[in-house]
Amino acid sequence: MTEVRAEMVANVWKVVTAEGEEVSDGATLVILESMKMEIPVLAEEPGTVTKLAVAEGDLVQEGDLIAIIE
Amino acid sequence: MTVIAGSTSAGTDQKSTNRGSNGTALRPPAAAQGPHISRDPEVRLEALFDPGSVRLLTPHDKSGAVAATGTIDGMTAVAFASDPRVQGGALGSEGCAAIVTAYDEALAQGAPVIGLWHSGGARLREGAESLHAVGTVFAAMTRASGKVPQISVVLGAAAGGAAYGPALTDIVILSDHARIFVTGPDVVRSVTGEDVDMARLGGPEPHSRRSGVVHLVAATDADALSQARRLALLLGEQGTVDVDLVARQEGAELDQLLPESVRRAYDVHPLLAGLLDAPGIELHPRWAPNVVTMLGRLAGRAVGVVANNPLRLGGCLDATSAEKAARFVRMCDAFGVPLVVVVDVPGYLPGVGQEWDGVVRRGAKLLHAFAEATVPRVTLITRKAYGGAYIAMNSRALGATRVFAWPGAEVAVMGAVAAVRILHRRTLADVPPDQLQEAEARLAGEHERESGGLERARALGVIDEVIEPSTTREAIARAIAAAPRVRGHHGNIPL
Repeated sequence: MTEVRAEMVANVWKVVTAEGEEVSDGATLVILESMKMEIPVLAEEPGTVTKLAVAEGDLVQEGDLIAIIE
Repeated sequence: MTVIAGSTSAGTDQKSTNRGSNGTALRPPAAAQGPHISRDPEVRLEALFDPGSVRLLTPHDKSGAVAATGTIDGMTAVAFASDPRVQGGALGSEGCAAIVTAYDEALAQGAPVIGLWHSGGARLREGAESLHAVGTVFAAMTRASGKVPQISVVLGAAAGGAAYGPALTDIVILSDHARIFVTGPDVVRSVTGEDVDMARLGGPEPHSRRSGVVHLVAATDADALSQARRLALLLGEQGTVDVDLVARQEGAELDQLLPESVRRAYDVHPLLAGLLDAPGIELHPRWAPNVVTMLGRLAGRAVGVVANNPLRLGGCLDATSAEKAARFVRMCDAFGVPLVVVVDVPGYLPGVGQEWDGVVRRGAKLLHAFAEATVPRVTLITRKAYGGAYIAMNSRALGATRVFAWPGAEVAVMGAVAAVRILHRRTLADVPPDQLQEAEARLAGEHERESGGLERARALGVIDEVIEPSTTREAIARAIAAAPRVRGHHGNIPL
């Protein structure tokens, strides 16, 4: 199980994946918007997205949970 | 000084030790079975050097360490190894004298020195004498700092003084099963009550991600030694620029590795792989990954690459990444390794945490490191360079040898829209919301024409030349070749 967490304060600009979806290593899960940059958040290992903790428009703080991959 | 890890790394090895001073005695082949190479320091040294090239500088006895010279792909190098079979590799006056002998030899030869560490620290039994001896090792390392490359390979537990030894050197490689800590889990538990095992306290995970103590983690001992050989060759046999190797080639357009949207973040690694002759060795890959520090070759010559990685933190500089890059820049400068600085940076990371973390103090280290560096250092701005981070990333003002930019790159105090929101705050406040975006875009266009843009940067001389991605390798190689081959004269304090 891997917890994917936000590296920095950001707005959730786009949610690319969905709960239950199979993702490969390096797949984009969500795209954050911060410092006027669109920053993809990637899966660091292949697996299934068992939890997606954010929705588009959410504000995430550094360390906030974005998704769980198992 | 604490002697820890006794339960795992100490213990007497009952097998007979080969004590020949010329390394010719029979011993098992150096080739590792599984992740571990033998605990015998002489076998470890043989695995490090070219076959048959090892010559011992100190007797292989019960001193706790042995020094040797040998060759790495034919290049002379010096090494020493602690002996975990004697008192857990703990160091007393004789073992420390062997390490100092290795340093004297390395300085005399101007050769890289590689330490193979597996030691509990200072010998308890020798008391203050061993503390003094370990101190002489630290002093020898510091004397050699910036003069000859120092690489540490940690192949077992390295505690106390044996942790600070590697920490004083330029590059630390940790074998996957090895551990580094000042005080082990037992002492930690008794003093702070924290329950932690050796791996979580001082294994690859904490040191590669959190502490920055370790530059590289290797899956096996053999892999760790082979990384040390590659790094020693990059720093010790740097080669010369051969422009023929990079003349207009292969049609692989580097800018195709950038996303179409200028706002979109991307991983800078493929771009760096395309810039170098072959994939380089990244140092500190998982610590402060928003800046990439990498040794590799360009046109056959060793170079150090410092690059923003937009995929992490948007490529912002922050306190930790500035410090990481500063140490790398100073190391390269000390050993005469030219720098290639690949810039795509939105600024310094804002935040209370950053300010309290000392982004001002630690960010200043990068300014100092670049401004002080005398090696050829070439900057390439791929997309954007904003604000204080623009200055810090080897700008003209800090003394860059050449500053190149790709077409469409932007140099500014901040993004144009953000700038006009500040400069034209009052005007924009009166604009109806439905026309705001249009007004901002119009003002941003004006602002860019007046204060930003490549033309202005070129007119000012802060960018020397706008170059095409296809000629980038050649342009950088020529700029390095044209600059005097010099190096900085300073130590490499572990910033």
